[in-house]
Amino acid sequence: MGEKKLVDARGMACPGPIAKLTRAYREAKNGDIIEILATDQGFIPDIKSWVESTGNKLLELGQDGSGVIRAVIEVTAKK
Amino acid sequence: MPGLSIIIARGQAENFVSLGVLTQTAASLGIPVKIFVTGLAVPYFTKNKPELRPSAEFADYAKKMFEGMQKLNAPSWYDMLKSAKEIGDVKIFACSMTAEALGVKKDDWDPIVDDVVGATFFLTKTAGDTVIYI
Repeated sequence: MGEKKLVDARGMACPGPIAKLTRAYREAKNGDIIEILATDQGFIPDIKSWVESTGNKLLELGQDGSGVIRAVIEVTAKK
Repeated sequence: MPGLSIIIARGQAENFVSLGVLTQTAASLGIPVKIFVTGLAVPYFTKNKPELRPSAEFADYAKKMFEGMQKLNAPSWYDMLKSAKEIGDVKIFACSMTAEALGVKKDDWDPIVDDVVGATFFLTKTAGDTVIYI
């Protein structure tokens, strides 16, 4: 069972949320779960593209009524 | 199929003419086009568009050019983009960071805009494309 990490990028504009996620990802191992919270309008397409590009797994993606986007990623592509 | 990616970051009339012509031409040729709207171009892709003006260094030439375009019944940049979207694979993406900086909300965008995205999306989706910065 991997570790769970929370990346709070609320209030950050592009490319801040992806940069903050990448810093957490660098320290992560396969099997870790990273939860990211963001409010940037472009974060949904950005995180989908990041997952597709890096080969990790997107477990959950949604947005609540206040505009906070929550993505949950399983780290699967670390070498 | 590798496509054409156009980054428009300026808000002058001559840039928009180039944007419209290149997009419509690429769409006519079957080349997929992705337009990334950022910087000073953002307000022109909202419902409340400011008046489009040529840049100062273009001012002497602009009057003649735009009068000539009227005589030719050349369509506006906006009509060219609309037409290109009808005939081809053309997507328009707006920069989320600039939108945030300018206070542009989701409902403010012109319907011609397909999505609001970040640089990660744009760079991953345009890999292999020819990229033009206008």
